[in-house]
Amino acid sequence: MRGAIWARALLEGARAAGGFPESVVVRDGTIAGQAYRAIAVVPHSGARFPRARAGEFGLDEGIGVAEAVRDAPPDAAIVSIVDVPGQAFGRREEAAGLHLSLAAAVEAYIGERRRGRQLFSLIVGKAISGAFLAHGMQSGWIGALDDGGIEVHVMPAASVARVTRSSDDEVARIATVVPATARDVATFARFGALDAVFDVADPLAPAAGEIERVRTAIDRARRAQLGTRAPVERLQSPAAHAHRALAREVRRRVDQAW
Amino acid sequence: MTPTALRRSYVESTPRERIAALADPGSFREILDPFARCSSPYLAEQGVVAQRDDGVVVGRALLGGRDVAAVAVDGRFLGGSIGEIGGAKIARVLERARDGAFLLLDTGGIRLQEANLGLLAIAEICDAIVALRERAPVVAVVAGRVGCYGGMSVAAALCSQIIMSPVGRFGLNGPEVVEQEAGIEELDARDRPAIWQATGGVRRVEQGHADVLVEDDLDELARALRDAFRASPNRERLSLERLRNRFAQEAPR
Repeated sequence: MRGAIWARALLEGARAAGGFPESVVVRDGTIAGQAYRAIAVVPHSGARFPRARAGEFGLDEGIGVAEAVRDAPPDAAIVSIVDVPGQAFGRREEAAGLHLSLAAAVEAYIGERRRGRQLFSLIVGKAISGAFLAHGMQSGWIGALDDGGIEVHVMPAASVARVTRSSDDEVARIATVVPATARDVATFARFGALDAVFDVADPLAPAAGEIERVRTAIDRARRAQLGTRAPVERLQSPAAHAHRALAREVRRRVDQAW
Repeated sequence: MTPTALRRSYVESTPRERIAALADPGSFREILDPFARCSSPYLAEQGVVAQRDDGVVVGRALLGGRDVAAVAVDGRFLGGSIGEIGGAKIARVLERARDGAFLLLDTGGIRLQEANLGLLAIAEICDAIVALRERAPVVAVVAGRVGCYGGMSVAAALCSQIIMSPVGRFGLNGPEVVEQEAGIEELDARDRPAIWQATGGVRRVEQGHADVLVEDDLDELARALRDAFRASPNRERLSLERLRNRFAQEAPR
């Protein structure tokens, strides 16, 4: 729901672009007079692969996103609207090569960015695992709503407890001592992974002023060319200096030895 | 006639032995080796004993005279998972590499115990692979017991060439994860023959997901690796047209 709502609301004068699976919403419009393409993966009960009907990133979604990115209008920047509960878990998906579908999306995003197209992401719901890796993480600028419904992680919470054979309480306790395992916006922002966080009273019904603030932030970021930054540049942020110090140190020592 | 040399198994070798056997003899120089004492500070709290190389071996080597980055993920440590340190090691050597890189991937993907730090690192690794492959070969080898899964399967799919052995498996979600998330009626993780048939090296090469199939033999792999460096990059693997056709065949009727 959140993905479709924000894909609809964010751009001015937006119209749907056709030719994509129904689970991939693609809309072309403007912000402050400049062209944008918004892309969201949304639930679709009629999706032909049953394991990808609840908004998961499945076979069709990966190539749908890849195509939407690759074939975006030449002057458009891309806004990836992120609300993905994870990738599709299925036998057919693995046999057919779901990892290739995700890689196609990643390749399209990286390729466009390296050719100079600006990429922005707005996390409006769940940003989980391979789905987020394939849709959102390659953007030069990433914003998120400041809301309890936002979740950034590599696995759904219930699965973490099952995999690690621990209780929900234990998983929650670890998240307080190892921030990398937390799921909330504020903790993810600590790593320098987010460029902006937006207050929204109701993410399902954003007010005009709230949408305007997001637009203004994206417009500023675009004018500053932030949408072409590579993921590694996030390590330069003050937050990363403080909370990804180990990654920075490892990189420094690799350089020393190289 | 010389007697037939004993096969040296890739599966039975350690990550360092693998790199040493595949690179030009004596050329591998490890960076941040176990004596550098660079181990994860996040594991003790979660009841896991850290490893002094964080389960990732990286360095600089020669391959057929080329100055390349070498990476080997240790599948024996936490399923070959990628955390903050291992991820940063891989990303940085890929960024520094001059004439290409080879990655020996025996990995379940992102390390659950360092979740979002692993995720951030893999996004950097994907970008570094695409940047490097524009000017030099980046070759992945998937021939270990763990296989190549999760975020690292996405990274591997971006490589110029992929070499597999029949032992290797290549997919996004491991069978245990699929069974757990979707139920045993979707997939029975104990049905090993079915799993290898669908996602093992033989099948993946047949499907064109990987490029070369070799036996579990280090000498054969060393030759295949040099050939892969000379081969032109596979640009068909992620062709949307091709993927679309393949997925259509897989769709339930």
